[in-house]
Amino acid sequence: MFDQLLSPVILFFLLGAFAAFARSDLAIPEAAAKAMALYLMAAIGLKGGIQVAENGVTAAFLAAAFIGVALSCIIPLAAFAALRGLGRLDALNAAAVAAHYGSVSVVTFVAGSEALELAGMPAAGHMVAVLALMETPPIIVGLMLARRFAAAASAPPGPAGAFLHETLLNGSVVLLSGSFLIGLAIGKQGFAPIAPVFDSAFRGVLCLFLLDMGLVAARRLREARSLTLRLAVLAIAFPLVNGFIGVLLGALAGLDQGSAAALGILAASASYIAAPAAMRVALPQADAGLYLAMSLALTFPFNIIAGIPLYAGLARWMSGA
Amino acid sequence: MITTVTRRRVEVLVDAPLVRIVRDLAEKAGFKGHTVLPTLGGSGRGGSWSDDQVTGGAGAKVMFVAIASRETADRFMDALAPLLDSHGLIVAAFDVDVIRPQKFS
Repeated sequence: MFDQLLSPVILFFLLGAFAAFARSDLAIPEAAAKAMALYLMAAIGLKGGIQVAENGVTAAFLAAAFIGVALSCIIPLAAFAALRGLGRLDALNAAAVAAHYGSVSVVTFVAGSEALELAGMPAAGHMVAVLALMETPPIIVGLMLARRFAAAASAPPGPAGAFLHETLLNGSVVLLSGSFLIGLAIGKQGFAPIAPVFDSAFRGVLCLFLLDMGLVAARRLREARSLTLRLAVLAIAFPLVNGFIGVLLGALAGLDQGSAAALGILAASASYIAAPAAMRVALPQADAGLYLAMSLALTFPFNIIAGIPLYAGLARWMSGA
Repeated sequence: MITTVTRRRVEVLVDAPLVRIVRDLAEKAGFKGHTVLPTLGGSGRGGSWSDDQVTGGAGAKVMFVAIASRETADRFMDALAPLLDSHGLIVAAFDVDVIRPQKFS
């Protein structure tokens, strides 16, 4: 745990958070932050595709994909009930927040993969495909919950295709899936010439990106007006419970330690890229400040600092190593 | 001496993911063109916001700008009226002098 806290990725994240809380003028230009996010998604997609090209589609991949998709559909339902009952949130906002907790955070997965690799328990490459598969179903479930339980959730104006377009073709889904397929097509040999860009620089860029995420998360937390103590507790409880279930199901399905931990990380993470943009289009009446504060300002830092080592330790313990 | 004609300029401050809805309503009202401008940040009743590309633009806002005749502008603003609260729009309209008025009918 202490080793994990001293990793450069976490230290840069903490530096960003400190700078934001101290109201420093430190800032990463938005265009640079966006470019780093795109780079990380492309790199992780490529790596996953190359590993699947080497190992082929295995039973473990199919099991992980099935569990991942099932979790991404069930987690929003459970989160919705908890947000309504324990969080005392109205149906519209509960549905919007629930969609975020069902969906996944690419950056949490990237940081988690890196931590698992350093801990000597790398996740299988096909977990990138599981990540892509888990990104969109919860957004649809969240919208259905809103339509069923929230009177204010009317059909969005404009063509219904706008929502589907935002959900299925948002940049992160396209880039992640696309680079995964490219990795699958080019294999290890085709990757070698571009490895200096996508492999050697990966950890350094991840550190700088986490510096920006520390700034963004801390600023979000500082400006979160509608966040109550109950919701803040749920933002920490959700990843703990979902992460435990993810690791447990992964271990029961016979996944290797790293992949079970990665499944836990995916289940525990909350989207702050795909889901917020889709929810803003589909449920504009929902409070964007609230779902971004919960997923980005609380759940994301919790997972980065404490969650990832916890799920990794749990996976190791369950496999008896 | 260039002759100018008065037209109506409408500005809509809108969350980045929702700009497509505003654009469609403007086209339906009869606007022949528009411009979308980036913003750096600001604050309002809902708190502060800033250009936020990392969250897919969900927390960022853009400024939609279009110029047309008063009738077209009024049609557009009537169409926007039901969305003002639900979509958190800030709308402003004012007269501007333009050359080549046929481009802004």
